[in-house]
Amino acid sequence: MFFEKFTDVYPSFWGWLNQGPLTLTLFLHTIIILPMIWLYFKEKKRLEQEDK
Amino acid sequence: MAKSHSVWTSIRFWRQSAAWVTGFAVVLLILLTFDTMRQIKMGSKRVPAPTVINHHIDYKYSKKRGHEVPVIGKKELFFGKEWSPKEAAALLHKGKLTEQAKNCMDCHTLLGNGAYYAPDLTKAWLDPKWKDMQAMIGAKTREEAMAKFLQHPEMYPTHERRMPNLKITAEEAQALVAFLKHMSSIDTNGFPRGFSKTVSDFKAGGTYAH
Repeated sequence: MFFEKFTDVYPSFWGWLNQGPLTLTLFLHTIIILPMIWLYFKEKKRLEQEDK
Repeated sequence: MAKSHSVWTSIRFWRQSAAWVTGFAVVLLILLTFDTMRQIKMGSKRVPAPTVINHHIDYKYSKKRGHEVPVIGKKELFFGKEWSPKEAAALLHKGKLTEQAKNCMDCHTLLGNGAYYAPDLTKAWLDPKWKDMQAMIGAKTREEAMAKFLQHPEMYPTHERRMPNLKITAEEAQALVAFLKHMSSIDTNGFPRGFSKTVSDFKAGGTYAH
């Protein structure tokens, strides 16, 4: 199972995310990359407007 | 004709991305620091209060969690007495200072820190080998056997590399044993793995306990 049942003594969001293989890594990378996509298109639009 | 610009060569884009990644990492690390501090506080579910030295500590396999967990049992005297919260805290503090002064981590590992030149001490109190040591020394209790061993470790054949005499006094030895007992009661999510394997299991697969 990708996400396993959380069994640690302390209920923790980060601990829960770290239960499966690479789940914490994938989550953190997604969070970091998503705003960068938005930044990319924002910058692209700005550059295109500058050219006009 | 319009010039063609690539976003990948835009300094502005990379500057904004770097600011976002750095800012996010700072916030995340602060949150994780507070999460860790909550969990490692003495008296929490993971790290029991100092008075745990007045209790029997067992290490049992938990099917639910998939590894061994410390089980704090009935009350038992430690060095022949029940220690008050203040006394227990002072004893553990002295044990910690002794552990630091004698540089145990030069050879041993404690809670994942240290070396593997000598056995892992994280669950040392629970090591079944102390029963043999108790018989060898002629001590009445496990804590007495451990304290005597710590004062003259070079006299006992415990490991292929014998521990040197670090001139640990009787008082320091008592505090160190308390420190080790408390450490064994910490819920380390099963670290070190396979601690209670037998010697034959160890030869077949390996454990840090022996």
